[in-house]
Amino acid sequence: MIKSILIISFLFFSLAPSLNSAEGGPCKDYGDCDQFKPDLNNMASLQRGVGTFMKYCYSCHSLKYSRWGRVANDLQIPEDIFFEYLVPDQDVGPYDLMVAPIHELEIDNAPPDLTLVARKRTSSWVYTYLRAFYDDSSTTYGSNNLVYPGVNMPNILAPIQGNQKLGCKEVPVLAKNGGEKRDEFGNTITKEKCGYLKHQDGSGLLNVEEFDEFIYDLTNFLTYVGEPSRAERERMGVYAIIFFIIFTFLSALLYREYQKDYH
Amino acid sequence: MVTKVLNWINYRLPIINTFERHLSKHPVPKKVNFWYLFGALASIVLILQIVTGIWLMMPYSNTEEGAFASIEYIMRDVDYGWIIRYMHTTGASMFFAIVYLHMFRGLLYGSYKKPKELVWIFGMTIYLVMMAEGFLGYVLPYGQMSYWGAQVIISLFGAIPYIGESLEVWVRGDYYISGITISRFFALHVVALPLILIALVFLHLVALHEVGAGNPEGVDIEEYIDEDGVPLDSVPFFPYKVLSAMPAIGVFGLVFCIIMFFFPEGGGYFLELANFEEANPLVTPEHIAPVWYYAPYYTMLRAIPDPLGGLIVMAAAVAILFVVPWLDRSNVASIRYKGILSKIAIVLFVVSFITLGYLGTVTVTETGKIMSVICTVMYFAFFLLMPIYTSIEKTYEVPDRL
Repeated sequence: MIKSILIISFLFFSLAPSLNSAEGGPCKDYGDCDQFKPDLNNMASLQRGVGTFMKYCYSCHSLKYSRWGRVANDLQIPEDIFFEYLVPDQDVGPYDLMVAPIHELEIDNAPPDLTLVARKRTSSWVYTYLRAFYDDSSTTYGSNNLVYPGVNMPNILAPIQGNQKLGCKEVPVLAKNGGEKRDEFGNTITKEKCGYLKHQDGSGLLNVEEFDEFIYDLTNFLTYVGEPSRAERERMGVYAIIFFIIFTFLSALLYREYQKDYH
Repeated sequence: MVTKVLNWINYRLPIINTFERHLSKHPVPKKVNFWYLFGALASIVLILQIVTGIWLMMPYSNTEEGAFASIEYIMRDVDYGWIIRYMHTTGASMFFAIVYLHMFRGLLYGSYKKPKELVWIFGMTIYLVMMAEGFLGYVLPYGQMSYWGAQVIISLFGAIPYIGESLEVWVRGDYYISGITISRFFALHVVALPLILIALVFLHLVALHEVGAGNPEGVDIEEYIDEDGVPLDSVPFFPYKVLSAMPAIGVFGLVFCIIMFFFPEGGGYFLELANFEEANPLVTPEHIAPVWYYAPYYTMLRAIPDPLGGLIVMAAAVAILFVVPWLDRSNVASIRYKGILSKIAIVLFVVSFITLGYLGTVTVTETGKIMSVICTVMYFAFFLLMPIYTSIEKTYEVPDRL
């Protein structure tokens, strides 16, 4: 009975993805987002991330649900150093919310708050988005983004990343069975496909790998600030699971002992 | 001393008798399977929801400006606030998961058959109140999905002819969803519906204890009793039933903790990602999807192009569950002794329900539309054809003893 339900449901769900094909991926023209694996116990990475955030993002973006002191404390940065080197406003204290000066003005279309951006859009999206800017002279700021086409944000990290343009490349033609199509000599048949990011080597402060790492740290920090208790949550979870495994085991033994009374 | 005090009280208030009758000495069938554990688990989750709810209420702000920020305040600034909130959100999804399994057990083993009709009806009313409770609670964080989900649900009232529009205003307390709506939903979510829920759970249990718990064989254990009137195939609730529930509680706690500590968003099904953004009446989210436990009914709503028709179908889908005791004409209770038609019917029903649930969480496609109509028809066919297939099929002999 249960078996047949499981089998039928399984058969159905293995076919299910085909029903969902109309939905575009979250990373839009980029294709699938690059996978991001946060490392919330890597203090050095988080510290570099908050540094980048304060230097490049904070002039326009707030973290209005987060407090200065909590970040300093969680990231193991002594408060005096934190406030001296990282916080530009002189009149804020550890219990103040991280509201950027721009958000204290009443302006329409203010840049969004980023406290929860990694939760709302996922860390992988943020990581991909920040690396997907390219030159586009048709827009106000001269740049555009593959992950967020038409985004109303200038490519603020361009001097660090260098120039990125849209280009074309040869991709293998796929046969009907999903494999690569080959000609009679066994060579892969390719066609030109456009809409790929092409980086101009040496045009930025960092090379591609260094820039990826730079964005990794920033995304790691945004992941942290989206849910500051996450590292603690995962630590506590291990103990809770061990507790319930032992509890289940012991209560099962006790149950078996008592079951002998009536079997 | 203790006995003296207890006797003093018992003389005036029957606590010992009630305790013995409904808990310690309450006879329960000695042989049941894991399907019979979900009732106990549901009551544990109910208590968990009430306790965590009380603590969440303390820092929560039921205002338009403060609601969303107060949730983040709970997640960041309240000591262990995050654990309380995740318990509550995971608990909500787990509550529905358990109740769906509990209800399915009822369908499998005929837990609604005479004389348990009232137990079933109270249970269905609990489910109905839970759906309202879950919806109201989902609006409280006032994220994008809270707002737009509420917009969709409240506009359902608007589909009712003549009184629809005024009804919408009456429900919202305003011409659009506002702080007034939040604070009234808050009052209903934390006071009104929990009171009703507790009363219904009480009635569900009293009615159950009056007629006795069922078993997967569908055997009436009251037929064979000893000289004290205790059924021969029963064991006292304490310690036997409590002990059999303990490993189940352990496994459940394990599943609960894995979700709560490692996947609190449940892949976007328990906490929808779009709800991490404050409600914005000017921006509609790309894709409005209900939380998974409403998804089957949402698909039915979408399957019918006419809003009023959709509303009627959706309401009928829940309403029809109430009359199941009178739709089942079989002379046996358990699926084990029912004929092949009932067995095919229940498999198709499960497939249609899961498919409807899946379709409710994804965007509409052409194939999806056709599938949702087919599955809606299958869902209703299970109930509407029940009087026919349960009366014509050949059933098997039910044993006398458990």
